[in-house]
Amino acid sequence: MPLWFARGLRRGVVTTRYPARPDGSAVALPTPPAFRPLLLTREIVDRMIAQCPGTALSRAADTLVFDVGSCTACGRCARVAPHAVTPSGEFELAATTRSALIKMVPILGERR
Amino acid sequence: MTAVEPRAAAGTREQLVRALTGLGSLQARDGGAVTVRIPAGALEQAAHAAAGTSGVRLADMFAADGDVTVLRLVWAYETDKPGYIITESEIEGEEYPPLSDIAPAAFVEECEIYEQFGIRPAGGKPLNRLMLPPHAGTELPTLGHEPSRPPEEVHAPYTVGGQAFEFPFGPVRQVGVESLYYGLVTSGEEVVDLYLFTWHKHRGVEWRLRGKTVSEAIFLAERAEGLSAVAVGWAFAAAAEAALGIAPAPAALRTRAVALELERLYNHAAATAALCQATGLSVGQAAAEIALERLLRVNAASFGHRYLFGVVEPGGVSRAPDADALRRELPGAYDELRRTTDALLGTNSFVDRLEACGILTAEQARRLGLVGPVARATGLATDARLAAAAGPYADHPVNVITAAGGDVFARFQVMLGETAESVRLIRQFLDEGTGADRTLVPPRASTGLGWAESSRGEVLAWVALDSGGRITRARLRPGSARNWRGFDDACRSQNVFTDIPIIEASFWLTVAGMAR
Amino acid sequence: MTPGPDEATTAERLRAQIAAQFGRSLHIRTLDTGSCAVCEQEIRLLSAPHYDLHRLGFFFTPAPRHADLLLVAGPMVRAFEVAARKAYEAMPGPKVVVATGACALGGVYQADPFMHGEVEAVLPVDVWIPGCPPSPLALLHGLSVAVGRLAEKVPGLAFVADENGGGA
Repeated sequence: MPLWFARGLRRGVVTTRYPARPDGSAVALPTPPAFRPLLLTREIVDRMIAQCPGTALSRAADTLVFDVGSCTACGRCARVAPHAVTPSGEFELAATTRSALIKMVPILGERR
Repeated sequence: MTAVEPRAAAGTREQLVRALTGLGSLQARDGGAVTVRIPAGALEQAAHAAAGTSGVRLADMFAADGDVTVLRLVWAYETDKPGYIITESEIEGEEYPPLSDIAPAAFVEECEIYEQFGIRPAGGKPLNRLMLPPHAGTELPTLGHEPSRPPEEVHAPYTVGGQAFEFPFGPVRQVGVESLYYGLVTSGEEVVDLYLFTWHKHRGVEWRLRGKTVSEAIFLAERAEGLSAVAVGWAFAAAAEAALGIAPAPAALRTRAVALELERLYNHAAATAALCQATGLSVGQAAAEIALERLLRVNAASFGHRYLFGVVEPGGVSRAPDADALRRELPGAYDELRRTTDALLGTNSFVDRLEACGILTAEQARRLGLVGPVARATGLATDARLAAAAGPYADHPVNVITAAGGDVFARFQVMLGETAESVRLIRQFLDEGTGADRTLVPPRASTGLGWAESSRGEVLAWVALDSGGRITRARLRPGSARNWRGFDDACRSQNVFTDIPIIEASFWLTVAGMAR
Repeated sequence: MTPGPDEATTAERLRAQIAAQFGRSLHIRTLDTGSCAVCEQEIRLLSAPHYDLHRLGFFFTPAPRHADLLLVAGPMVRAFEVAARKAYEAMPGPKVVVATGACALGGVYQADPFMHGEVEAVLPVDVWIPGCPPSPLALLHGLSVAVGRLAEKVPGLAFVADENGGGA
């Protein structure tokens, strides 16, 4: 056991200070997308919906309905429209109501 | 520590293929898989021929529905150009030959096929419940036809001076582990028998994949057993590629191989942490968890996901690794693991708990068709990476790590040897160059077999596609689906309750891989 | 779609109640309703040195009678429903249910003969944590929100990128 005790002391502290302080490892985590409304068209949104393997994306008229709770950050929607989609960088996504995870994104790009 | 199986005479694989073809007809030959159609009347003879050939193991058995139910057996040929031989037979009535009498490795699949297709081996041997819960009626869909009678519950008879009792445990168990139901038969301390029920988690993945394109399906396939996402994804993608005649770009295959070896590394680190937890060595567990966390961060830095989801895609990969980040971060993370495991090997109280615990013999492993470190720890040199006709593992042959003894300690030693080997392979793949290509071709009606070596053993996948490229039948067989049947035997060999978590950690399977 | 006024008041009341009762220490029981096994691995890492949930007053317990919070992963396979209800009912009140991961939130599987597709179909959920899997940091954030120690962030996020490419 002295072997392990000494190893532990030598190793030092690796524990995060989160949530009191930000944790640098968070930047490498995959995060749900953020959308650029001016670059979204109905056609692009419908293609993104077709590629989404789950239920995170749907469209109501000229609004992209984005269910953050259903998002797995797989990146398929970003590959459909790389200029219109960017990682949000947000991983602190916990919600006390399910509806707080449903986001409405206006589709403001030119109609084709 | 390394033992190599004696090689059979060159040409024996061809002899077996000829023998089987003589009983039926050759259907297809591609890459490492040969498909032979065998009429139902000749199936028993074919099974004898295959099971009786040295170096041949029954790797999987499954059925598919159509005008007639087709029964397929996948035989792994392990010496002299390893590969696979699939026999397919149309089963007209409700019965087929008693295959598990010839190859005991077929028993669990016979139970599964009975539940899903309603056909059973001749002879009336009782079949156990597998995927369908006891209260399931017609509301749970099957892949074919429902059985005419529900499966019975038959487990090994037990008597210990009339004192044994049965202790059901689970499915909700200790903190942070998957749901799993143990039927533990004990006389108080000793494990007389142990059987598992996994139907609580059965998700019907194979049923759900029907009608999807392979690009749609890979998302669910890699989540069949998330801790083997790369391996299951690769096997599934390779099955589709074999069906469609796609050869992914070599650089893309090397990307897959890098991801697969990273997956092996973090799983072995997690198994080490679980072994420490099971033996009560908290400091060892903490040290192993530090290494595990570092390896998961290496995954995130190089592939953008801690568990390597979304890397494998049909036709290739979605991205190349960040090779600079990988070269920079992996040595330190591996070093952390290596220093921890070296210290563990020098801790007598830890090693004592592992030795002579959960023993499996090579004969048991062979009879049950076990794969992965569990099989290699009994001395069997079985590894799906050897069955590569081309690609990264053909260009960079793997040193297959085996051990003797078949106990928990032997399994631990195999995992340790494999981590060093994984680091070596990753360096070689990176040096040769990785890429991010996808090769796509027009769809066509076809079938194909794919495989990969996960950290827990060989993963097999088989797909049948229609002319639109949509799945009519997808078979996923993760390593866990093969190896849980060895867990019962390993726990039964003179072990006590407190050995069970240690043995479970040394197998490092998942319930999800069985209950997919 | 922001929460309506009734929903918001209830949420606020619940938060205050939870902060009062669970402020010092919280015992967590875990439940797998059919996951792919990766969510469980991230949950196990909460007690690993990098994350150490103990420093925040959180503890794991296998005993339902000691548990305050049920951390649930997986898409609620129907065959598991009885076990899930038993696990929930074995916990004395007050108790909190946290659904973690895209499967538990209904994002991976839809309701079909095999599964409900989301935890909320069977158990009353108080906090939802998105992710596939949610990382240990995301879990720590979600647990802190569940005990009222941190305010939730996601109601104020629009997931609309500005011209410079920044998120939120």
